[in-house]
Amino acid sequence: MSAEKISPIGRGLLNRRDFMRNTGFALGGLGLADLLSAEDPVNFSGKSSIRPDIDPGNPYAPRPPHFVPAAKQVLVIYCPGAVSHVDTFDYKPQLEKLHGQKPPNIPAVTFEGPSGNIAKPFWEFKPRGQSGKMTSELLPRLGAMADDFCFFHALHTQTSAHPQGENFFNSGFTMEGFPSFGAWTTYALGTENADLPAFVAINDPRGLARSGKNNFGSGFLPASFQGTDFNSRNPPANLNRPVNFTAADDKATVDLLQRLNGRHLERFPGDSNLAARIASYELAGKMQTSVPEVMDISNEPAAIHREYGTDQGSNLKKEYAKNCILARRLIEKGVRVVQLFNGSDPSGGNGITNWDSHSNILKTHAMQAEIMDQPTAALIHDLKRRGLLEDTLVVWATEFGRMPFLQGNGTGRDHNPDAFTCLLSGAGVKKGFSHGESDEFGFKAVKNSTSVYDFNATILHLMGLDHERLTYYHNGLERRLTNVHGHVVKEVLA
Amino acid sequence: MNRLYFFSLFLGLHPMGLVAAEQEAADHWSFQMVKRPVLPEGQGNPVDAFLGRRLQQEAVPVNGPADSRSLIRRVSVVLTGLPPQPARVKAFEREFSAEADKAYMALVDELLASPHFGERWAQHWLDTIRWAETNGSESNLYRKLAWVYRDYVIRSFNEDKPYDHFVREQLAGDAMGAGDATGFLVAGPHVPAATVGQQATAIRQARADRMDEIMQTVGASLMGITIGCARCHDHKFDPLSIEDYYAMSAVFQDIEFGSRNPEFSDEHPRKKRSAELWGQVAGQRRILQQTGPWQEDWGGYRELHFSPVDAVAVRISFKSPSVGIDELEVFGPGKVNLNLALASRGTKVSGPEEMVQDGRNRITRINDGEYGTMAWRARAPNKSEERPWALLNFDRAQRINRLRISSNREYYFETDYLTTKPGFSFTNFEVEVQGKDGKWKKVASTWWIENGLNKKQPARAAAVKKLKQLAYALAEEGPRPSFVGRFIKPKITRVLHRGSPENPAQEVMPSAPEILSGDLSLTSANSGRKRRSRFADWVTDPKNPLTARVMINRIWHHVFGAGIVVTGNDFGAAGALPTHPELLDWLAAEFMKPGRGNSRAWSVKDMIRLLVHSDAFKRSSAPRAQGLQPDDALLWRYPPRRIEAEVIRDGILQASGRLDDSIGGRSYRIHNVKKTYAQWQVVDNHGPGTWRRMIYQERMRRVDDRIFTAFDFPDCGQVRAKRPVSTTPLQALNLMNSPFAVEQADYIAERARRESGEGEAAVRRCFQLLLCRRPNADELRECMQVAGEHGLNFVCRALMNSNEFAFLP
Repeated sequence: MSAEKISPIGRGLLNRRDFMRNTGFALGGLGLADLLSAEDPVNFSGKSSIRPDIDPGNPYAPRPPHFVPAAKQVLVIYCPGAVSHVDTFDYKPQLEKLHGQKPPNIPAVTFEGPSGNIAKPFWEFKPRGQSGKMTSELLPRLGAMADDFCFFHALHTQTSAHPQGENFFNSGFTMEGFPSFGAWTTYALGTENADLPAFVAINDPRGLARSGKNNFGSGFLPASFQGTDFNSRNPPANLNRPVNFTAADDKATVDLLQRLNGRHLERFPGDSNLAARIASYELAGKMQTSVPEVMDISNEPAAIHREYGTDQGSNLKKEYAKNCILARRLIEKGVRVVQLFNGSDPSGGNGITNWDSHSNILKTHAMQAEIMDQPTAALIHDLKRRGLLEDTLVVWATEFGRMPFLQGNGTGRDHNPDAFTCLLSGAGVKKGFSHGESDEFGFKAVKNSTSVYDFNATILHLMGLDHERLTYYHNGLERRLTNVHGHVVKEVLA
Repeated sequence: MNRLYFFSLFLGLHPMGLVAAEQEAADHWSFQMVKRPVLPEGQGNPVDAFLGRRLQQEAVPVNGPADSRSLIRRVSVVLTGLPPQPARVKAFEREFSAEADKAYMALVDELLASPHFGERWAQHWLDTIRWAETNGSESNLYRKLAWVYRDYVIRSFNEDKPYDHFVREQLAGDAMGAGDATGFLVAGPHVPAATVGQQATAIRQARADRMDEIMQTVGASLMGITIGCARCHDHKFDPLSIEDYYAMSAVFQDIEFGSRNPEFSDEHPRKKRSAELWGQVAGQRRILQQTGPWQEDWGGYRELHFSPVDAVAVRISFKSPSVGIDELEVFGPGKVNLNLALASRGTKVSGPEEMVQDGRNRITRINDGEYGTMAWRARAPNKSEERPWALLNFDRAQRINRLRISSNREYYFETDYLTTKPGFSFTNFEVEVQGKDGKWKKVASTWWIENGLNKKQPARAAAVKKLKQLAYALAEEGPRPSFVGRFIKPKITRVLHRGSPENPAQEVMPSAPEILSGDLSLTSANSGRKRRSRFADWVTDPKNPLTARVMINRIWHHVFGAGIVVTGNDFGAAGALPTHPELLDWLAAEFMKPGRGNSRAWSVKDMIRLLVHSDAFKRSSAPRAQGLQPDDALLWRYPPRRIEAEVIRDGILQASGRLDDSIGGRSYRIHNVKKTYAQWQVVDNHGPGTWRRMIYQERMRRVDDRIFTAFDFPDCGQVRAKRPVSTTPLQALNLMNSPFAVEQADYIAERARRESGEGEAAVRRCFQLLLCRRPNADELRECMQVAGEHGLNFVCRALMNSNEFAFLP
């Protein structure tokens, strides 16, 4: 075993053998060997880490989860900009009553400046489905599926700024440089379909979200686990054969390369790094066929296109709908993590390209909703119809919520880090269920308050991973997606 | 007893465990002073003596020497990051066969003297501190002129600046005529205060986060400790308390992320050039002075000059109905850089309150000493004759002759490549002053300067034009605001309970960690510069047990592919133990106080020379023919490894003959000019403008360069001791299909034909250019077939993608 493979902390513990002998500490019946096993490094939680056994020749090989998982795949639908919970899924009748008033306990200043008066929801709420869940007319089609959803109404986060909020939601830290959820998951589990990337990030037609690559980056994990980004329009960078090359040119290059590499390998028999690199060219070749195939949604039936809405509404909606079909096809093919974005950075101005709505929320949220509602509902419904929700977890998320009062008595709502709503659906979670409550205004989480750590711990749990044992040694610590926090929200497990 | 309880003992939570654990921690190997171990018996390189003893103990036989071609490729890449040129390979092979040792030593000296040495080793250093040219965070703005720090690092390695001096300059270069060196302290990402919103808690948190980035940089790179782990509570594994963390943060309390004019010694070329240019500025001003007031455009601000006058108050009346001004400064003929308008000097400011729409943009913004987006914004009511004005009342009469005014100086001086370059959100204005007698008089009007004076006097117009040119020249060539950190007045530092700025506890004095004898005899009253200078003394003291060990380990890592301590940024209890502790200590001792003739203390080049002269470095990398492979850490062979992104890109450009190998200067840019809140987009990662060594590619946080990011190019978010080496299909796609790869394959083929003619000679040349060797008969035949049927460029494409090209032999 090379020194690298032993966790430093595991090794540190080994050193402490002497310490225990010297202090004469009685161990009793404790399984010392178990605790001090070099394979079994220890992290902050006091639990031992489970280190995925990654074959450098095939870093994407499927690997066993920590325990029998509820879900084998995960689809994350991420809405940058902060969706207003009080205008969508978190019904607060009190806001109607107090509309235009300014109750005590409302801070004078929030993220962007002075706070204004309470504003009732900008859209009407109605009961939906068997559960009678109250959701708003802003997202009628998603609302209609409330019986399939498990809402988290008492989420809270650590920041009021979008980039840090995205970092925190998607990588567990507000700061730069940490691995994304998708990177952690594929690092742990690999993937079932060797012909497609293990982790695909489908970016919004308008571009990347505020934190850019951080949302699907590998941070300090090996680059193998970064998300491959493409959408229904743009293939991954450099996937295609250069335009002036024929297929025969390409084949000749690859054949020559394999012969060169084959001969070189004879001088280094058994070198797994060289073998891995040879294998990566084979996988790249497969991806050149399999990715365009999965991207080609033209032979999806017309009814599917209609259902997702690729044929009606705004151009942005049509594009997003195509991305939704792509997401379903990727899940169908067994891709481990699909992250679908609905919104980009606000390069077009305040609130124009994502859910951010400091002013004129009526217009900006409505515009986003027009893009998101139908295709997203169709996507989840389609997954359900095909039985894919048996093994797939769907996450719908945003970085924080919006204030129940107006921003400076204008026409929009400021950021609210203390209460917001996200939802889960599919494998392993309760249906038609709501967990946690915000206060009567939707201003702060009050009942079963749920941190982003808890939320991420729960998603990992559903994927068969113990968030306290999924670690990677980095700069002195066995790092985790959930830092040193997080509890699985058992109440939502089916 | 449950498992958790058991662990609580390890973590020092049990009273009995606490004492024992503390003792154990204090005894930790890396916290002991370096003592020079006795060299093992035998002749030859001390490196081999230590390695040999271990190999003998483990009964591992070693490989024979590498062939000359592998050796020149290996040592060239390790020392300069560039593969050797074919002619040099040929000469070396000849010399080596005649007199191997002499040929090799000459080659090593040549490579150490090459200016490309500094580029290669600067790259490693920049990795260590995750240096980049954007903020990360909101808007991910570009850091203007951050690259002067990169130049400093390259220059330092090339000059073989003693490492202790290099460290001192990076901590306190402002006191040593090397102001550019403090770019080190602000290498990490940061969240600008202006982007975290209006809540005071968020602003405090952002400052604490920025301090933490500085702490991580210093702790990891210089000390090899994970000091960040003590930010919220005592370190779980090392004897570093939360008090240690905040006491050490007090050392850096005067640092803020931002720009300043770097302090240069008088010999610095930029300093000399600026003296010339300022002389010319003075000349032009003398011309203007004779005929009345004048206005100068310095890009980031405008300056209005007028005859010295005594004033108790100044009124500025604007002509445009709306203005946006981040700062208004007033200077006198005495202390020319003393801003008399500052609120902190007692100057009061007032303006038309009814014209301010947003409470964030009150008139007090113009004399608060802060540049940037937080500005005074006033707008006159529609159809009103009223115009915005500002009134400054000094606390006593002042002699004044100059007024400097800007809209967003921060954006101008600190960032670049934005579509909306901040101009001036004001047009003409008039200045009146109130004398001691209470009477007001007009001293200048910008409209009159333009229309009444400049237009009528060609000599004035020419002087104004010349001044504008000089302002630009100074910005390009003189010391100018560069992203190497700015200084603020240090506040009293307190322990932040659980890491929260909302829970300040006891005051701590600036010091280094207690376990490392870190008392610096400083108080909260000492200046920031003094704090940093004392800390620099402490960290470079030969008694400091970490500094030399940590750097030697880095050098070893980059020479042999893995450190003696594999966790190069963590020498604590959670880090790895050294594979060869005595070797590490011997090298550290030798680094600080060389015992060999001709060696200089703290010389990085001397230590690298020592390592690459060893037999261990010169061994063949061939694997064991059969049986179990011994651990590479024993160095029974030279462990082969994949070369980094930079070496691949630079090597391809060198092979095609397109590499512009000039040293230093501005980065080449692969991204667009963007809107403030947009993401950067890569627009050209392959054109002629990018044909420089990749160390000069703008390091952009959060940006995938669409080719080399996939090769584990660091994202510069978190400090990392080493780059992971991963193998992914995206690497294959990028190196096969990217425009860069395709075009360069063409250029290499073209060059081969030009230099060697058609046919087999051209194929042979391609092998030389890319692999430093001749093809064998089978290879030649296969390549001739591909070249004949498809084109020589496809042969080059295959060679560029080959394992032989991508691995260090």
